[in-house]
This record gives sequence, structure tokens and C-alpha cells, in this order.
Amino acid sequence: MHRIQRSKARWIAFFITPGLLVVGLFILLPLFMSLYNSLFSWRQLIRLHFVGLDNFKRLLFTFPYQQRFFNAMKNNLYWFLSTTLIQNSLGLLFGYLLSRNLPGAQFFKRVFFIPVLFSIVAVGFLWGMYLKPSGLVNSFLKLVGLASLQRPWLGLEHLATPSIILVNIWRWVGFPSLVFLAAIDSVPQECLEAAYLEGVGEWKLFWKIIFPLIIPSITIIMVLTIIGSLNVFEQIYTMTGLDGAPNYSTDTIGTLFYRTAFGSIDAGSPEIGIGSAIGLVIYLLTFATSLLSVFVTKRKEVQL
Amino acid sequence: MKKHMLLILLVALFTASMLFAAGAQEAQTTQAKAKTTLEFWTWRPEDIDFYAKQIALFEAANPDIKVVQTALKNTEYNTILASSLSGGAGPDVFQGRAYGGLVTFADSGFLEPLEGWMPELKNYSANALLGATSPTDGKIYGSPAVSQTVFMYYNMDVYKKLGLSIPKTWNEMISNFEAVKKAGYIPLGNGAKDGWCLETLLGGMGAGFYGGSDFYNAVVAGTKTFEDPAFIRMIEQMKSLTKYMPDMFMGISYEDMRANFINEMSPHLIAGSYEAAFFKSQNPKLNFGIFAVPSEKATDPAYVSVYADMNFAMNAHSAKKDAAIKFLKFLSSKDFGKSMVTEMQMVSAVPGVDASADPFISRVLELQKNATPYLFLVGFRYEQPTGSSLWQAAAQGVMAGTLTAKQAAKQVQDGIASYYKPFKK
Amino acid sequence: MITDLRYRGASTGKRVFITLSIAVMAGYVLLILYPLMNMVLSSFKTNRAIISTPFALPETFSFATFKTVWVDKGFSHYFANSLFVTTISMTFVLLFGSMASYGISRYIYRGNTLVYMLFLSGIMLPLKAAIIPLFLLIKTLGLINSRWSVILIFLAMGLPSTVFILAGFMKTIPLELEYAAKIDGCNDFMIYRKIVMPMVAPAMALVTIYNAVPIWNDFFFPLVFLQSNSVKTLPVGLSTFFGQHSTNWSLLFTGLSIAILPMLILYLFMSKYFIKGMTAGAVK
Repeated sequence: MHRIQRSKARWIAFFITPGLLVVGLFILLPLFMSLYNSLFSWRQLIRLHFVGLDNFKRLLFTFPYQQRFFNAMKNNLYWFLSTTLIQNSLGLLFGYLLSRNLPGAQFFKRVFFIPVLFSIVAVGFLWGMYLKPSGLVNSFLKLVGLASLQRPWLGLEHLATPSIILVNIWRWVGFPSLVFLAAIDSVPQECLEAAYLEGVGEWKLFWKIIFPLIIPSITIIMVLTIIGSLNVFEQIYTMTGLDGAPNYSTDTIGTLFYRTAFGSIDAGSPEIGIGSAIGLVIYLLTFATSLLSVFVTKRKEVQL
Repeated sequence: MKKHMLLILLVALFTASMLFAAGAQEAQTTQAKAKTTLEFWTWRPEDIDFYAKQIALFEAANPDIKVVQTALKNTEYNTILASSLSGGAGPDVFQGRAYGGLVTFADSGFLEPLEGWMPELKNYSANALLGATSPTDGKIYGSPAVSQTVFMYYNMDVYKKLGLSIPKTWNEMISNFEAVKKAGYIPLGNGAKDGWCLETLLGGMGAGFYGGSDFYNAVVAGTKTFEDPAFIRMIEQMKSLTKYMPDMFMGISYEDMRANFINEMSPHLIAGSYEAAFFKSQNPKLNFGIFAVPSEKATDPAYVSVYADMNFAMNAHSAKKDAAIKFLKFLSSKDFGKSMVTEMQMVSAVPGVDASADPFISRVLELQKNATPYLFLVGFRYEQPTGSSLWQAAAQGVMAGTLTAKQAAKQVQDGIASYYKPFKK
Repeated sequence: MITDLRYRGASTGKRVFITLSIAVMAGYVLLILYPLMNMVLSSFKTNRAIISTPFALPETFSFATFKTVWVDKGFSHYFANSLFVTTISMTFVLLFGSMASYGISRYIYRGNTLVYMLFLSGIMLPLKAAIIPLFLLIKTLGLINSRWSVILIFLAMGLPSTVFILAGFMKTIPLELEYAAKIDGCNDFMIYRKIVMPMVAPAMALVTIYNAVPIWNDFFFPLVFLQSNSVKTLPVGLSTFFGQHSTNWSLLFTGLSIAILPMLILYLFMSKYFIKGMTAGAVK
């Protein structure tokens, strides 16, 4: 008994040690140092004295951090909801259609993933160019007779974030499509064929048979979406800058964090204490929400 | 059993070798050099060739010193500098930001106070020194290099064609706008997508309305606030310019703005003196001039906003300070200053540099007779949220129509008052 | 196959549905190919042409900018460095990641969830946040200006999501297979290598692309840690085209076009692999 346990332990250690070592040293260690930093007051880049939760109090209760923080959180929520409802649903639809091998599927499968290969900088520029007042989007609208819908997309407060979200969806929808495709394809053929022969309708087939069996992949995509929505930063940075222009409407906690922790040319000196506090908040939120979604979906999991 | 141990050992070795092999590799690349090597950092990748030439001149005169230039992307410069300096590494000599940007590094003890090394710094103009001095301890931390000015560029060919002349009052300027509009041009090429461009707009046209240097001094001292009626009126006037700006100007970015002017679609552009070199290189045939945006009355001065833009600083923890100071003195020499004027078309802050060689620079200096500090950049970038960022956000709101001038002024005032002691009375 | 969506024999309603689906997908494909083409074509234009007529075809198809970027600006070196960094990082990400996933999903023990969460926590933290402690750490290890600094960082960044995805896929492999192999005399490592790994091959392909792209395109960490020209990577090289007040668009687009090539090639190569894996059926 003892001998088996020890050799099992050895195996487990063998498999997980290298990875754990790297993650521990390069992620967890700096993370803890950052958290440590959030408990101190700072003069520019120099750490001063221990102030406990003071930075957090300032973040959540004082002007202007409070306003910026909750405004940013609102935008993050908006990101999350739009991405889940539009991107992931579209991904599920595409994945399903592709698994059903509709005409052209082989071609579509390969092309859909290409936007993921672009660097964020490239995506930011190209779409930034298309969304200009003189850009492709407006020209296209004119072409199809919808000239009245022309707008300075990235310049108006109520349109900037939706525009960036749509660009982000353009970029990423190939990913859930292929993940769901892989998941649906792993549902055994016999199951589906049997259902067909029994005359089960398309709708029922999807919701009652396929959907429950692909829950693990849905969990993966949900968690990655939550994490992505809370951390979104680079896409916004390349399209409207670090300060959440126009007038803080594209600000998210990612940009707020970067701006506060590192300062920016216009927004001023770094506030490392508060910046680290924001980092910790991002971390806690991500952790809590991912955990929640993992538990919720685990209940619905069906093992085959 | 033994096989497993072997495997575990192999994996452990892999991990360890990664860490140590790196050290060995690094040792190979940093051989001991007979010369002293100085690390020089800038945020101007577009000027690499210029500095390379200057460095060659310096190295010729100082054969025992080698200078390695690294140009970092402007937007990431501060972060990289901060992390390097905090980590005990970093450059020996580098371009330093002015005002608030300087204080970040000065107050953290990363900048070497320069008065002892370069007593000649006292001869610089007060304005130039203001950007390189830390208000916390009054010491000079950088050798001021350039100043920038904000004014109105105009297309001289278009003016000639339409028989227009430089306006002496605000209303004359507006009628110039109307005239060019009739002729089919976009009167004012400015856009509002990039927040800092609205700060530029303020720098170009605001001083005449809010009250120039008197207002600046009053606000800094706390005797006036940004909710002053003159300031609010200025915001309204700025908003009134929107009808002369391009269609859907809220989406016009910095690049588009300049393209409008360079491609002669718009004969007016409020921008900074740093544009001249770019305009020339992009469209050598463009015949442009500058004027200061006039006030309402011809008797009031036509202001231009001025600010110290860049200084050269030294790492307080550098191991090669003797060599570094030599390079620093080179960068602060009149010859270097002159080449900045002639080759880069920047106004050098070095006293005694003859600027008459370049007609554009002489004209800038002429306009500088009515200089006023560039309101937010100079006075209010010392703490977060900076006056600049507050103004940029509020101005975008006004230009887009989501904020009234009063609300914008309040947004700016409240933001600054949250930390600015003179406002907290 | 009976489950295929085909026109033949379908009801009109279904036919309409199929046509609409194809239309939507084709529309998306257009939206993908156009920017790609745009980016590549822009590399043949001058700066002014890009800004004033971004959608017109280039006037000439000279490869001058390519030569400038590749030779004069040293992109050939940056390319090699990027290749080195990405390949090595990815090798270790896949190796350590799959091993760790195996160690988490195929064994039941007390610390299981804890280890899993430790790995996951890596996804949740924006590592940029910890740049200052990270810098100190790398400096202590003597790795500043060494390519291993970013390799280790990318490895650390890639492991969490890899573990997350692979563990999920590995869990779906029935335990009976393992017992059968054990009876045949396989030890754990051989089970890992010969049975589990081939079955998660499609997931491995996905994970490869999911991680290789951000590593290849990352510019922040190489910018901070790789300062001398001999070790810089491609994205850092690209960032030098961004002046404070003037961007060199034509060189930038040329650089971007060059940069996307390896990713496209890698993808085309991988896509054959995971599509093959999927049609072969996951349960064998």
C-alpha cells in the first residue's frame, strides 16, 4: 500500500514540478510582491511606509478613483456581456454549422482563425483606419445608401466602446468556433445518427443532446471570456489610447490599472500603491467569477 | 525505479540549465571593454540618425568613451525607464521629461542633481529651468534641451491666392475661416479624437480668452479657479470653432489632422513647433507660415503657449558619472544646440544659440515675445489626475456635445481640487 | 454522412437556412481577407499614399521597403530572435504544460484542486502588473538582455491557459484505457506519452496556436528586457517605426506583413493536424 502511494506521489511530482516551478517563480512570486506593494504608501517610485488597506479605501471611496473605477467596471461588464452574447453565441453557431459540414465547411474552417494570427497592433491600426470618418466603414455605408448612419465611430462616447468590442469580436470569433467544433465533433456519431433515425428534430437534437455533452468546452470558453473581459487592455490601447478617450467612455480596469500603476505621459506620475491595489482587485474579481462559473457549469456536466 | 529517477533528474536539469545557461550567455556578450561605455536612452526613434551623427562627433573628440543609443517607443518610455531604474539598471544619460515627469524620477532619487556638475545651468532662462527643477527640493535635475511653442500654422499659398492676411483680431480670423470655407477648403484641420490634441487646441487659442499669464499665475496660486467666467467663456469659444473643423471631427485623429494640413485640404492648423520638420519632410512643396492666434481686441497680445519639452538627465546611480558628465556637457553645448535648430528645427534651450540660421525658428522666437505657460502641462502635471488628462476628457465631452462648458470646467476644477492644496482652502 | 447539411434532399426551409448560413460566413471571410490584403498591399506604398489614399492600390509594386526593413533595419536578426524565442518557449510550454495537465487530471489526490488553482491563477493576473518585481527578479538571475528572460516569462504566461485547456480535454479520456495499458506493463510516463497525448492532439494544436501567436506578437516584455540589437525580437523592431510625432507607416506595414507570415504558415500546418484529428474521432 505504502509503496504504491509513494511511487504515485513521485509520478505526480514528476509531472507537475517543472511547470509549477516556473509558474511559481515568475507569476506567483511577482504577484505576491505586487500585492505586498499595495499595502504601502509610495512617493513616486519609492516605497514608503505600511498603510494597510488605505490604498484600497482611496480606490473605492475617494474622488477621483472611485468614479474612474466604477465607470471602468461598468465598461468591463459591458465587454463581458457583449462578448458572451455575441461572440460566443456566434462561435457556437459557427461551430455547430461547421460540424454539420455545410457546403464550404472545409474552407471556412481554415479561414475563420486567421484574424487571431494578426498582432493586436495590426488589428488596431487596420480597424482604426477603417473606422475613421473617411474610412471604409463610412464609405461602405454610403455605398449601400445608408449614408445617414455615418459616424466618427471611435470619437463618440456611446459608439467608441461598442466599435472596439465589435473589432475584438471580429478578431476572436474564430477561436470559440473551432473549440466548439472540436467539442461537437467529439460527440459520438452513433449517438447522433441514432437520434436522427428516431426522427428527433434539429432544435431538440442540439439542445438536449449536443449541448449537455459539450459543457466542458463551454466552461473553458466562459472562463477565458471572463478573464479576457476583465483584462482587456491592448485592443483599447491601440485604438483609443490609454486614457479611455473619449471622456473615459472606453476606460476599463485594464487601462485604468496601467495608467495608474505606470503613469502615462498625459495622465501623470505613477501611483504604484493604488495601481497595485487595482491589480489585486482585478485578480480577486477574476478568481471569484471564474470559480463561480466553473461550479455552475460543473453541475450540468454529463459524463459519457 | 531507477529509470524514473533518471527522468526526474533530466527534467530538473533542464529547468536548472535554462536558468544558468542564460547567465553564461550573458557573460559572453558583455566582455570587458577598454573604453567606458555609456548607455544613452531617448524616446525619439525618428531621430536615431541625428543622434548617431552627434554621437560620432562626440566619440571622435573623446576616444576613450563609447556611447550606445537606444531609442524606445515614446508611450512606453516612462514605464521602461521606471522599471529599469527601480531595478538598479538603466541608462547613464537619457532624455528626461519636464515638469511632473521629471519629478517622478527626481523624487525617487534616480536623477543626479546637476548644479554641482554644471554650474553654467544657472544661466538658462527661468522658464527652461522650471521644467528641469523639482519643486520638492528646488534642485536642477536636467539640462534643458528644447522648448516647444503652440500656435497656428497657415498655408501661405492659399492666403496669397485668396488675398488674406494674418488676422489681428479673433473676428478677423473667423472671417478668414469663412473665406477659405467658401473657396472649398476645410477652414481648421484640427480634430478631437486624440485628447491631447484638444490640449494643443487650448494652447493655441485659449490664452487670449482666459487671460494669459495673469490667469496662469492666479490659478497656480489658487486665487482663481477653473470655474472662472473667463475660462468658461474660452471653452465656449473653443466649441464655436467646431463648425470650421472637418466633418465628424470627433473621429479625426492626430495623423488625420496633420494630413489635412499637409495635403492642403485645410489651410489652418493649430499645432506645436515640433510639426515643422515633419511637414517639410512630408510635403516639401508646402509653403507654410505661423501666426499667434489673436485675442478679441487688436490691442491685446496674441499669445502662444510655451513649455519646456525635454532635458538631458543623468542616472544618480550610474557607475560612470565622470564619462557621463562629459557626454551631458556635449549635449548641452552651443554646437549641439545649433544642430538641433538647423537639423531638427527645434527651439534649443541652450543660451546663446544663434537661431537666426533657420527662418522658421526665428519666427517662432518672434512669436514667443507673447509667451504664456502652456497651462495644464506646465502647472498641473505633478499629481494624478493631472490637469492635462482632466482637460482632455472634459474637452472631448464639450466638443462632442455631451458636456456644457460649465460642466467641463467643473469637471476639471473638481479633479484638480482633489489634491491641489491652493484650491483646498 | 447523415448528419451533414446539404442541399440535396433538403426541405425549402432548410435550403434557405443553409444559404443564409453560407452568406453570413462568406461575409465574415470577406471581412477577414480584405484587411489581410490591405495590410500587405500597404507595404508597397509610401507614407503619404497610405495616409491620403489608404484604400487605393499601390502605384508600384517595388520591394524596396522590404529590403529596407529586412536588411537596413536589421529585421533579419529580429526575425531569427523571434523564431528562437517563440520555438523554445512553445516547446517548453507544450512539454511542461501537458505534463502538468496530466499530473492534475489523471490522478486523484488531496492537493489536486490546489495545484489546478495555482496554475489557473496565472491566467488571472495581468503579468504586466508585476513588471517592477519581475524586473528585479530577472536582474537577480542575471538575465537582463538575454533571450532566456523572455522565454521564461512567456513560458510562465503560457502554462496556465495550456493546463486549463489540456486538463479539460484530458479529463474526458476514459480511465479504462489507462488500466488496460497498465495491465500491458506500461508505466505512467509511457501512458502519458503513448495513450493520452495522441488523444488530445487536436487540443494540443489549438493550444499551440493560442499561445504561439501572443508570444510571437508580444512587444512589451521584449521591449523591457531585450535592449541590445542582437537580441531584440520582431515586435520591438516594429516599435521603432513609431516616432513620438511621426510614424513610418510604410515600413510599419511591411514589418507587420513580414511578421504575420510565420504565424500563417504555422497555422496552415497546424490546421491540417487538428482537422485530421477531429475527423479521426476522439474516441478510438
